[in-house]
Amino acid sequence: MSYLNKAATRSKSGFWPNNRGTIIGVAVLAVIILIVPFTANSSMMNIAVFSLIFALPAIGLSLLMGLAGQVSLGQAAFFAIGAYTHAILLQKFEMPGPVAAVGGVVAAMLAALLVGLPMLRLRGHYLALATLGLGFIVMIAVREWEFTGRTTGIYGYGRPEVFGIPIDNNGLFFWFVAPFVLIGLVLALNLTRSRAGRALSAVNDSELAAESLGVNTYALRVKVFTLSAGFAGLGGVFYAYQVQIVSPQVAEFHVSVEILLMVVIGGLGSVWGAIAGAFIVELLSEGLRDLIPAIIPGATGEVQLIGYGLVLILVILLLPGGLYQVVLTARAAIVRAWRRRSESADASAAAPPDGTADTGAGEVPTRAFGGLPGEARGDGGLGSDALGGGVGGGVEGAVPALPAVATPVAAGEPILEVRGLTKRYGGVVAVDDVSFAVPAGRIMGLIGPNGAGKTTCFNMITGAIAPTTGTVTFLGEEIQGRKPHVGAERGLTRTFQNLQVFSSTDVVGNVYMGRYRKGRAGILRGMLGLQGREQYRHEAIARDILDSMRLGEFAELAAGDLPFGRQRMMEVCRALAAEPALLLLDEPMAGLSGQEREMLAALLRRLRDAGLTIVLVEHDVAQVMALADSVAVLDDGVLIAHGDPETVRNDPAVIVAYLGTDAEEAEAELKELEEQA
Amino acid sequence: MIDFLQLTAAGLSQGSVYALLAVGLIATYTVRHVVNIAQGDYATLAGLGSISLVTAGLPLPVAILIALVSVTLASVLIERLVISRVKNLTTLVSIILTLGVSTLLQAIMLLIWGAEGRRLPAFPGSDLNLGGVSIRSQELWMLGALVVVGGGVLLFYEKTRWGKALRASAEQPVAARIVGISPAVASVIAFAIAGFVGAAAGVVSSPIYLSIWSGGLLLGLKGFVAAVLGGLVSFRAAIVGALLLGIIESYVAGYVASGWKDAVAFFILIIVLIIRPAGLVLRPNAVRV
Repeated sequence: MSYLNKAATRSKSGFWPNNRGTIIGVAVLAVIILIVPFTANSSMMNIAVFSLIFALPAIGLSLLMGLAGQVSLGQAAFFAIGAYTHAILLQKFEMPGPVAAVGGVVAAMLAALLVGLPMLRLRGHYLALATLGLGFIVMIAVREWEFTGRTTGIYGYGRPEVFGIPIDNNGLFFWFVAPFVLIGLVLALNLTRSRAGRALSAVNDSELAAESLGVNTYALRVKVFTLSAGFAGLGGVFYAYQVQIVSPQVAEFHVSVEILLMVVIGGLGSVWGAIAGAFIVELLSEGLRDLIPAIIPGATGEVQLIGYGLVLILVILLLPGGLYQVVLTARAAIVRAWRRRSESADASAAAPPDGTADTGAGEVPTRAFGGLPGEARGDGGLGSDALGGGVGGGVEGAVPALPAVATPVAAGEPILEVRGLTKRYGGVVAVDDVSFAVPAGRIMGLIGPNGAGKTTCFNMITGAIAPTTGTVTFLGEEIQGRKPHVGAERGLTRTFQNLQVFSSTDVVGNVYMGRYRKGRAGILRGMLGLQGREQYRHEAIARDILDSMRLGEFAELAAGDLPFGRQRMMEVCRALAAEPALLLLDEPMAGLSGQEREMLAALLRRLRDAGLTIVLVEHDVAQVMALADSVAVLDDGVLIAHGDPETVRNDPAVIVAYLGTDAEEAEAELKELEEQA
Repeated sequence: MIDFLQLTAAGLSQGSVYALLAVGLIATYTVRHVVNIAQGDYATLAGLGSISLVTAGLPLPVAILIALVSVTLASVLIERLVISRVKNLTTLVSIILTLGVSTLLQAIMLLIWGAEGRRLPAFPGSDLNLGGVSIRSQELWMLGALVVVGGGVLLFYEKTRWGKALRASAEQPVAARIVGISPAVASVIAFAIAGFVGAAAGVVSSPIYLSIWSGGLLLGLKGFVAAVLGGLVSFRAAIVGALLLGIIESYVAGYVASGWKDAVAFFILIIVLIIRPAGLVLRPNAVRV
């Protein structure tokens, strides 16, 4: 289960059932925090304070890794920027504490924005290495700059005061930091379950599918990265207060390693894990600093690094999900044992408890990290016979209700215009100067032999790839070469030939993602938890669409467990959930049973009659001829025919393209090929 | 003008060290899609190791040879024990994993050799004076190492059957297997090359630039910047980029302030990634719009 699924399975609305886990967890943590200063000795208290301080950058990093699927090796740089800015504003400008603190956080976020804007456009290793570089820059800058006190650093500013009480011992300081950590924790947890969090989780399953539903991956990633730096900056603010001197060593690389280790131990991308990891790493660090010099006489400096390196490698190799994986596995085992006991104790019990493993506090690392072996899915109710059940009686009865359809253009007017679309790969021309217009409220079929460039054409229209030359005009706006979310935001949605299922969530979670472009809540509202109602509304719509497509009974099933044909139908549901003006279907019939094909064809006709414009790429020529109002034929990247089905069927060029001497033979041959495949 | 040439010469020799590290990074990246954060640590490991061997009384060439072989083996060992153990090596996991290796190597070096930087004795040879520009013999050794080791790697990849197959295995594991190279073997060879070039960079630069336990990270980052200039695939472009980086650093150290020298690489990285993420490689069939 992922962020997406967790929120999706929570079908009942209401504050308490949906936040039960978080509230209980935070309350328990608050009680522990309250007690600690009374029970811990002074050295433990010191460790506890630093654990809380470092929990903040760790929470930030876990958001970055869990949501953006990226890693920062320079979390210490943002931590240091926060610390320095805070200290300088206090000491040199004598600003009040809260103002200086805000300054520290904002400075860290601005630095992240500067690095993130260029780096997050690129995939792969660039952000990690750039943040690593930033760490060096910050260290060099504070060391070389007179203003930051060179190697001595900044000192000589006061301690914080709350209601006139100076926070001058570790116990008080611990309580001083704790509320911020708890609030940060709640904000982060809310974010992972919010519209934005679920969208980013979907991006980690399939970036292309998420963007085709309107998710602006880049913008969301930049925001999450900036936010994660804000958490680090806040940690730096408290650090500055605690140590009373900010020197270049705060920016050192091993601090970044330490923060990363906290997240890795806690479970990549788990917010609760980050807090646990912070305490564990601080304890480990203190222990190693005592232990190593005892074993190896004369060892000085950052000797704890040996433990950091070993633990990093071992956790990734042996326990890639970290502590969170352990907790999940243990909980799943307990639930299973409990179920078995209660079942044997009371054989006539009504219904076995369904996904009770969900305490609501959960959030799990996403697939970006390869998934978790111990991951428990909250289903188990649906047997194979339920899956094997037929689509159901009559075709008409199969589509009782119709999802909403947007009709921004009068029927017959062009909604999509393609001009001179060309794609060259080196010397190979995949699509050559293709032009056509799609009138609104019609079904257009795009056919052609294998390798004719149909999908390439599709990908250029939807923004998955940029055309070499040519224009794509959708609703009067040129969208060629723009990212898929640009078209999607305007009402252009697609399905995929090779299914792009969000496999870390369930069926309703997938369709819910289709509602993304209809939602409004941004990161801030998500963090504050002020979007529950919006989410429930969209989830209800997603369920209605599933019901109307006879998929309602599978709503809670993991999307990846659906049979192939139903996954295809689910993708259609997901696309329809976006209430598109133009629906592009890439081989929607492939892999469907005869009955399912009929049902889909009937649905598409009804949708067209309701005003939806549909373009479909299809292999099944007979289906296209029967369904489409107009047919375009591509052969070897060139548009060889375009017109109504009857004209195209008799077009000599089309017949030649399909290797037959006459249309019937060509069709027969194709059908044969289809059956073999 | 003499200053300028002097700085250029120093930059070229320093750049040759980055070039060797970039070659190592590209070798592992093309085969495993891993940016090995421990690449620079191979250099410090070889430097510190050979210093100890020389201190123990071994002749310099023998000490260097042993260091080169040991670090190469260490790199292969890291591949076998750590990298190859992960089935689904995503970018994120590979970063964390090689960071773990780098941290572990650094900590081991800290515990064995302490926190102080050390220096290998200078290699034999006399300094060169060209019209007022003096070039230290060690700098010539550094450039020579690039020509011999870097050139050797280039020849291996471009001229030998194995080298070509190795590059191919990055793109087409199945095809490479047909030619006779399994992905596992390809990976081992790549890490062996990375270890060897890293070690070579470490020993030739140690007499001038010291070997210190924590120095590898920055060296590796600069190698990475050079590798990015080569689009993470082209050895030639990366080598040119590394030499340029060395020269620019040298000018900054000479004309601005030596403390800022290490910041140059990062700014270049950002600028290059903004302007031309594909690197300096000129693609013959680049798409023209």
